[in-house]
Amino acid sequence: MNIKVVRTTAEFEGELAETTALVEGKDLVPWGGDDGLSIVGARATRVDGVARVTGRARYTQDLYFPGMLHVRMLRSPYPRARVLAVDASRALAHPGVRGVLHRFNAPKAAFRGEETIFRDEVRFAGDEVAAVAADSEEHAADAVRLIDVEYEVLPFVADLEEAMRDDAVRVDAKGNVSESGTFDRGDARRAFAGAKIVVEAIYRTSTQIHNSFETHGAVARWDGDELTVWESTQHVFGVRAGLQAALKIPYRDIRVLCDYMGGGFGSKGGAGKYTIVAAMFARQLGTPVRCFLTRDEENLAAGNRSATYQTVKISARGKKIDAIEHLSWSNSGQGRWVADPTGPTKGLYDIPNVRTRSYKVVTSLGALSSFRAPGYVEGTFALDQAIDELADRMGEDPLALRRRHAARQSDPVTGQRYSLKRLLRCYDIGEKEIEWQHRKPEGTRGSAPHRRRGYGMASQLWGGSGLPPAYATVHLNPDGTAVLRCGTQDIGTGTRTVLAQILAEELGIDVGDVRVELGDTNSQYSPISAGSLTVSSVGPAVRLAARDARMQLLEAASGLLEVGASELRVEGGKIVSKGRRVPLGEVLGQVDNYTVIGKGSRFPNPEGLSLKTFGAHFAQVEVDIRTGEVFVEHVVAVHDIGRVINPLTAASQVEGGVIQGLGFVLSEERVVDRPTGRVVNGNLEGYKIPTVRDTPKITVRFVDEPDTRANNIGAKGLGEPPIIPLPAAIANAIANAIGVRMRTAPITRQRILDALSLQ
Amino acid sequence: MKPFAYARPRALTEALELARTGATVMAGGTDLLGLMKDGIAAPDRIVDIRDLEHLRGWARVTGKGVRIGALVPLVELENAAELEKLLPIVAQALRPAATLQLRTMGTVGGNLLQRNRCWYFRDEAYPCWLKGGVRCFAIDGDNRQHAIVGAEECVAVAPSDLAPALIAYDATVSLSGSRGLRTMPLADLFVTPHGRVRREHAIRPDELIVEVRIPENALARRGTFEKAMERKAWSFALVSAAVSVKVIGGVARDARVVLGGVAPVPWRARDAEKLLEGKPLDDATCQAAADAALEKAEPLKDNGYKVPLARELVRRTLRRLA
Amino acid sequence: MPKAPQYVGPGAVDVQLEVNRDRVSVHVPPHRTLLDTLRETLGLTGAKRVCDEGTCGACTVLLDGEPVYSCMTLAVACAGRCVETVEGLASENALHPVQQAFIDNDAFQCGFCTPGQIMSCVGLLRHNASPTSEDVLRAVSGNLCRCGAYPNIVAAALAAAKKQRR
Repeated sequence: MNIKVVRTTAEFEGELAETTALVEGKDLVPWGGDDGLSIVGARATRVDGVARVTGRARYTQDLYFPGMLHVRMLRSPYPRARVLAVDASRALAHPGVRGVLHRFNAPKAAFRGEETIFRDEVRFAGDEVAAVAADSEEHAADAVRLIDVEYEVLPFVADLEEAMRDDAVRVDAKGNVSESGTFDRGDARRAFAGAKIVVEAIYRTSTQIHNSFETHGAVARWDGDELTVWESTQHVFGVRAGLQAALKIPYRDIRVLCDYMGGGFGSKGGAGKYTIVAAMFARQLGTPVRCFLTRDEENLAAGNRSATYQTVKISARGKKIDAIEHLSWSNSGQGRWVADPTGPTKGLYDIPNVRTRSYKVVTSLGALSSFRAPGYVEGTFALDQAIDELADRMGEDPLALRRRHAARQSDPVTGQRYSLKRLLRCYDIGEKEIEWQHRKPEGTRGSAPHRRRGYGMASQLWGGSGLPPAYATVHLNPDGTAVLRCGTQDIGTGTRTVLAQILAEELGIDVGDVRVELGDTNSQYSPISAGSLTVSSVGPAVRLAARDARMQLLEAASGLLEVGASELRVEGGKIVSKGRRVPLGEVLGQVDNYTVIGKGSRFPNPEGLSLKTFGAHFAQVEVDIRTGEVFVEHVVAVHDIGRVINPLTAASQVEGGVIQGLGFVLSEERVVDRPTGRVVNGNLEGYKIPTVRDTPKITVRFVDEPDTRANNIGAKGLGEPPIIPLPAAIANAIANAIGVRMRTAPITRQRILDALSLQ
Repeated sequence: MKPFAYARPRALTEALELARTGATVMAGGTDLLGLMKDGIAAPDRIVDIRDLEHLRGWARVTGKGVRIGALVPLVELENAAELEKLLPIVAQALRPAATLQLRTMGTVGGNLLQRNRCWYFRDEAYPCWLKGGVRCFAIDGDNRQHAIVGAEECVAVAPSDLAPALIAYDATVSLSGSRGLRTMPLADLFVTPHGRVRREHAIRPDELIVEVRIPENALARRGTFEKAMERKAWSFALVSAAVSVKVIGGVARDARVVLGGVAPVPWRARDAEKLLEGKPLDDATCQAAADAALEKAEPLKDNGYKVPLARELVRRTLRRLA
Repeated sequence: MPKAPQYVGPGAVDVQLEVNRDRVSVHVPPHRTLLDTLRETLGLTGAKRVCDEGTCGACTVLLDGEPVYSCMTLAVACAGRCVETVEGLASENALHPVQQAFIDNDAFQCGFCTPGQIMSCVGLLRHNASPTSEDVLRAVSGNLCRCGAYPNIVAAALAAAKKQRR
């Protein structure tokens, strides 16, 4: 098989990056719109449904091994302090305690650019100070309280806007604020100078916490030199890389597994300190070790979506938007990177003059991590509200105004032509479904006294093109059943099911005859299950692997049936030739000892084209202006993501994104006590995620036109798009209803009542 | 959670003896276990009173009002077909209270005795005044959920939805202890933490609630309840309002206006009650009563919104009685 | 004087209870929750530990037929009572109608809250063969789902009820 090196540029979560990959053979001609597909594009219930509804599905948190030890962490009570001394003697004397690790005794281990797991200077309330391994979680938790630590407490800053001030406590040697992105198109500042209508406003978004239901954690076991780690992760290969870097052991000796996992939403991208600590203890103590965060710890030290402070200035010329300036500051906590909220401003609308600047602000809080469309949710909240504010000033319908800037078929950032863009079609569908004609510029009367009704909408831009490398292997057994092995993960999105559909379609067998084995570094590489790239990265490789298996199968069948291979095809698990239909098991069963092995790899995206996903959300809300209560009555979510492989699971993704977006815009807010720098609502009581009663009527629609230029399956990603426009659409609907612009998320009763009382 | 010894007596006398000798009383456990898991409570001994038949069941007793045993699970009340007619305020208060699981596990007595939800109180790391420390962290901290009226050293609010509803029916509560049985207005079960009183309830450690009674004459009251939350379900009240009146000759008599979520205790808005006396429940009166109810409010830096919110809940609930 | 009080613990004690129709005896200290007992002592890991403080519903089991949070229930307090978990629902050759409806309606994504959601729905259908949407909302509003499978969970509960009636 000929192997080629490809070097290509691909997008991941709004950032373009060079990537090098190897590909094997030749890519396939993409499935077109009329290729007569019967499995791909059809509703399929989840292949792992039975395991999940019976409790048989084993999540990492469900693994208990004989003799297993449990780890609990001691976390800093202070937002910033130097760890001067640690005395673990009382903890070690506690029943069941087998070991304590801290900065003075832990082996050196490289971790995310640092040399050690336990810092000399702890940098947020919740930073790891020590770890205890004991025979039960309870004993470990008790012992954590017996560790005596001497701290030198240092000044800190936790609040974003406080950290931005010139006189703020500096918690980063290079200063708290650093520029993380700049972009200019045309000359926005000159355009503002001559503009008649200019709108300028400040928008704020709060810190959202993932609260994946399975907390971060890992189980580690050594067998001689071989380390096996089970981890609740979106990237088994990322965990492997982290372990290799920290422990300096070869890949040969590391195996990382993740079968079922209880949600990640971006936060489970690689090895955590808990992983390394579990592996260290397991080696030291010679027994399996489990380290899972508690819910409180999950809310402190497992990532979050940065709070932002954004200013948007926008101007009109005639009936069109002429210029926009978007400045954004993100609270990255102790994060080493920052997401870019100005992404949508650069690329979503065709506006001639654009100026954006993004800044990373370091504070004494836990690091951010990717959270479902990082940056784009926060940025769209500001951008699409600013557009409505401008439309109001212009006396224009906000949807009509957007239409004037949504038709362009090339990417305003790169100038490249889009592979496919159907944003206007999304508007058309949404406008009809929400009955946009009922929207009045001043809102309308609601269904009860003191209630006002409003309509709002917002647009979505995201990548989701997928990228190499990704590989898959298909084993076709002599009985006609197949096993797909690949290194990706199913984080709840339905990856197993969708990949089984692609495999079954291409190979010509039933989904029921496919078993999908994921989450194992002993398979070939797959990328992180994030960035809406799983289906579009792994799917094409699976299709190639299935094609490879099918070609080999036909060759084998040709010999066994003594018919020319070109006269054979596979259909519904049978070899079809000249009107004869022989089950695969009968054909291959003649030699019950041969496994057909098909391999496939992900080819690069087409050169010179811009691959994006688009969408629009429309919302109808009512607001009780006396109690500040928001009633979301109807959300219409329309997405243009290329081909929809499975309408059932795709709709679930969209509903889930809408509901998580509702949390972001209406109720979710990490609260930090300013004087002490501690999170005070790091639990599921104080931190309000939506309940079933917060769920509105949701109408999901897809444009569902295959993007035949994107990849061989014509599909792009859907994980993130459905959370992006929802908050802005709701905020716009609220503003339409009550005539007051709510520029801070979440839009709680407190904020609505405070705003209305100022009227 | 600290290990403890556990007893589960069948007789009230046994339970009282255990309480007298230092055991902490547990009924449904939904609040106590939370406090223990958070390190706020750490009893050595627990007396589980779920087997005390004497404290179970509830009934309308002709001429004597309604008796509700302390151990009645909230869901048992809620599921009773006659509740909506008999005690509509209670029925309306139970529906948005907590969750079905918690209403299944939790009891009437336990609900009334649940401790406050202040995030500083519930976090072991804050040695707050109520826990024996020197200051209230909410005053300088984030106090969006805290009291707007009636607070002293501690600004946490009374969390129960049931309590305002029962107080609007002039309920009484009977406590049994080593010194015998005593009965008091339910409103008096709640105390404002102040001075040397670092607790929210008047119950003594050796006592337990036996029953709650609603007098016969309160059953003629017209009443209603409303609760404002941060989301549509499963939240403690930002503000709740339970109101009741006797309507005689087209005017309100002997009104009860009781607010949850605004004060350290279920808050009787007596100024509003007075204002309503002898007036028809028209728009103007309801609005005036609502204004009067919150006249003495002194919000903290983050909770000013509770004033218009509480005012509106009072106005709205009263208006509904017209 | 009343009889001297009988304490057990704080060390481990024997507790007999019925779990999924089997009589079992466990040796646990009084402060051990039913959830931890199910998961760690009995190996029934269907019920999940998500919040461990009675706020999320992922640990919901039926106790004498009623839905409770097993993380806020002491195992010792379940002596002599019947516990049902998600593992006990399916028979040898058929899923429980609620389980099947969850699959048919795609009523889960990551699946971590699913055992609790299912037990809440099963508890509902025990009492109410013809639930309305409002009844379903009441039954599952104490079961949070971070993936947002709510619309499908409600649809699944209603579909299961309909199927059970036939």
